[in-house]
Amino acid sequence: MSMIPDIKRFELICVIVNYGLGSKVLKIAKQEGISGGTVLLGKGTVKNRLLEILEINDIRKEVVLLVTDCALVDAALKSLDREVQFRKPYHGIAFTIPVGAFLGNGDYNYKSHFIDGGKKENMYQSLFIIVDKGKGEDVMSAATSAGARGGTIINARGSGIHETSKLFNMEIEPEKELVMILAENALIDSIVSEVSTAMEIDKPGNGILFLLNVNKIMGLR
Amino acid sequence: MTVLFNKFKENFFAVGPIVLIVLILHFTISPISTPLLVKFIIGSVFVVLGLSIFLMGIDIGITPLGHLIGQALAKSNKLLLVIVAGLVLGFFVSIAEPGLLVLANQVDEVTSGTISSVVILVVVSVGLAVMVALGFIRIFYNVPLYKILFVLYLLIFGIAIFTSPEFLAVAFDASGATTGILAVPFILSLSVGISALKKDSKASEKDSFGLVAIASTGAILSVMLLNIISNTTEFSVGLGSAESEATSVFGAFLAIAPGTLTEGILALLPLLVAFLVLQLLWFKLDKKASKKILKGFLYAFLGLILFFLGVNAGFMEVGIILGRQLASMESSVFVIVVGFVIGFVTIAAEPAVYVLTYQIEDVTSRYVRRKSVLIALTIGVGLAVALSVVRILVPAIQLWHYLLPGYIIAIALSFIVPKLFVGIAFDAGGVATGPMTATFILAYTQGVADTFEGASLLVDGFGMISMVALFPIITLEILGLLYKVKSRKSEVDIKCQ
Repeated sequence: MSMIPDIKRFELICVIVNYGLGSKVLKIAKQEGISGGTVLLGKGTVKNRLLEILEINDIRKEVVLLVTDCALVDAALKSLDREVQFRKPYHGIAFTIPVGAFLGNGDYNYKSHFIDGGKKENMYQSLFIIVDKGKGEDVMSAATSAGARGGTIINARGSGIHETSKLFNMEIEPEKELVMILAENALIDSIVSEVSTAMEIDKPGNGILFLLNVNKIMGLR
Repeated sequence: MTVLFNKFKENFFAVGPIVLIVLILHFTISPISTPLLVKFIIGSVFVVLGLSIFLMGIDIGITPLGHLIGQALAKSNKLLLVIVAGLVLGFFVSIAEPGLLVLANQVDEVTSGTISSVVILVVVSVGLAVMVALGFIRIFYNVPLYKILFVLYLLIFGIAIFTSPEFLAVAFDASGATTGILAVPFILSLSVGISALKKDSKASEKDSFGLVAIASTGAILSVMLLNIISNTTEFSVGLGSAESEATSVFGAFLAIAPGTLTEGILALLPLLVAFLVLQLLWFKLDKKASKKILKGFLYAFLGLILFFLGVNAGFMEVGIILGRQLASMESSVFVIVVGFVIGFVTIAAEPAVYVLTYQIEDVTSRYVRRKSVLIALTIGVGLAVALSVVRILVPAIQLWHYLLPGYIIAIALSFIVPKLFVGIAFDAGGVATGPMTATFILAYTQGVADTFEGASLLVDGFGMISMVALFPIITLEILGLLYKVKSRKSEVDIKCQ
């Protein structure tokens, strides 16, 4: 791997499926070459008069986040569709969001100029850091020391290429924490470098970090 | 509609295996009379319906209430308030538990009134209340669960030396009886609610479990202390046959309906009052949210009644008959094997098991799967029932021959198992001993004890519940060890170097 290609583009694939299917989605994604993913538990509602009256219109959902090289996205979505059948009603949804920068897979370098993109209106970026359970607070303290105002920690589970083990033919996906931080463009670089050195994100197996562009923002002062 | 359908489907697959086993036995080695079989099948339909509706009620009513109270307590940050709340909630949840009432009546009968059922109800509830308060304090002061359990069980075995063997069985059974159908979901959600506010997410996860375990030691301790203080030594073996002779199928269901109704009301009333009082004084939820919780209570009530009707009218007798018929067979292999199978399949239909396994998935974001917990539980309960049957057949084996080494293993394992699993395992012990165990499995072992010569119904019939409470602890701790070994990060050499 002597020649590092010019910056790869990444996308975030977001899949929302019924409870219990998250691990299957993750497995298919891995077969398609995506290095890992994170699953969050969610709740969805069904539009149905009777169920609403009975107050049982809440259903459990799983949200799968997969950050991947743009080149893999189409193939991955196709084979996911084959299994999950998004076309049919109540079978789930999937969408992708372009990722500004991605760090933590061992071989990608953070290029800050990529995210600025020259556009003035994007004053904010949202930073996502996925680390092992219990390390979310460390991420937060590193981020605040670099100027971040606050953040949100969400419980999740997931696995990368370094964590594949089975128990009775069942994949074990270790617990993770997803930390979401909103920050101004001017601060992002220092937050990213502070967090990635504190968590040693550049070493494999220590978590990943990626940025999404933010269009509008409210409530942040 | 698929949502509604899925809820029923899940419980159908939980109860289905039990029906299948009984049918297989009916057509092979242990035929049952037709009215009884019809009653059993109608009963199992009631159980499926009741379970589904009850669990919906737990999901939208009882669990949210527990979370609300837990969070309110944690936010208040006043130790005195937390202790008082623990005492009050623990006492009323326990005293309303249908399983405890049954046990108290049995003790009353067995001691020929020396210890009245009211005394035992109050004593056990006080014991449980004190321990719930202690469990709250533990969460606030971050005392590791395994240390508390170590001390508590040391205390239990210390006192056990001075307790008569008959009472020992009753004491351990009481712990199973108090942590029943309503107490478990409520106590579980309370501790999740309190721990959720912890900043340290690892500690918050660990502390979400373990409160049921601590609470159930309260029942054991209080019954043993009661025995020592009252110094009861005389017992009469006068357990009435639980078999009803009602021949008409529907008559059997009608006969127990009033009792079931009062049980349901009694069990839910304390929680309902707690909700209404707290809603007025503290939560002040908007109309929609409070209506949802009230609907949850209604579901829980309806489901509870259907479930109890099905279990009491349909399952108990079949259990006793099976136990008797198999015990009277020449080879004792069948009665042991069937014991294992019954334990194995019955536990999946236990309501609290459903609640616990989903709670585990919620707290760990499905890192620990329902399925793996269920496998460990079913194996544990299966072994517990099989070993209980062996104990009945072999008079030389006494209950403490199982319990002492069992708890020593369980406590020893708790030092090396991931701490999350210690809480899950000890909670599962309390969870496994719900109404299904207390009726169907208990009826089976009592049927065996009743038929087998040389077995005393009192000494051998009791104690099964304590086995069911113990073995899942060990199997789940083993599961925890497997997780620990398996989820170490593999040092994959990195290709891009």
